[in-house]
Amino acid sequence: MLEIAGLVALGLFAGAIAAALGIGGGVIFVPALVVLFGFDQHIAQGTSLAVIFPTAIVATVAHTRMRNVEWHLSIPIGLAGIVGAVAGAQLALRLDPDLLRRMFGAFLIILAARMAWRAWKIDDRPPHEPGSPEAAAP
Amino acid sequence: MTAVSGNLVKPIILGSVAGIVAGLFGVGGGVIVVPGLVLWLGLTQRKASGTSAATIVASSAAAMVAFGIGGSVDWKAAILIVAGSVVGAWGGAWFAKHINERILAITFAVVLLVAGVRMVL
Repeated sequence: MLEIAGLVALGLFAGAIAAALGIGGGVIFVPALVVLFGFDQHIAQGTSLAVIFPTAIVATVAHTRMRNVEWHLSIPIGLAGIVGAVAGAQLALRLDPDLLRRMFGAFLIILAARMAWRAWKIDDRPPHEPGSPEAAAP
Repeated sequence: MTAVSGNLVKPIILGSVAGIVAGLFGVGGGVIVVPGLVLWLGLTQRKASGTSAATIVASSAAAMVAFGIGGSVDWKAAILIVAGSVVGAWGGAWFAKHINERILAITFAVVLLVAGVRMVL
């Protein structure tokens, strides 16, 4: 019961942060599932993808309505992405979970540096428009 | 023909790299696609977000199936997180208007750093 509430709360929190910062939820779901919920690294990643997939569909519908999707780019990127994703997933599944967890940690540290750089460059301009579905982009 | 294939080189490279990162780390890949579209293909941030979201539908589906076949998806947990994030995303738009973006970004950077260090060790 506690875990059910915790997972819903994780979605709530990650959804809000992702929407407010215009980032994807994956970088929140995976570490939260591993560090807070004790998931195996592989299962955390697979579960994260299962959350991202429906979220991305919703985001795409919203962005399409707002004419924000350049399909002539999305289609080749998406098709190449399928090939890359299958290769990346096969590699991940073959790696030892402890090694994969460490690699993910290094990836997060790079993203933290990038986020800090972005924060540094914000010059108190007004916050971006509400309802901007870049929010939902995982 | 040459022009067409020339035009496809950048999207294909971008998609392949983003896909590998998405599959390897279980993330969407927007972290690669969005800056790639802005800095390399000259899209605005908004168009890049929309274009990226559509590519993530494809790459996340492919990676999800690969992890699912390997028995590495907790479907029940995924449904619970999706339920929460629907409400969260809606609240986040409101939240973004009422909080200083810099403070939020710095806080989040610190959280990522702590989580990253913890996972590396």
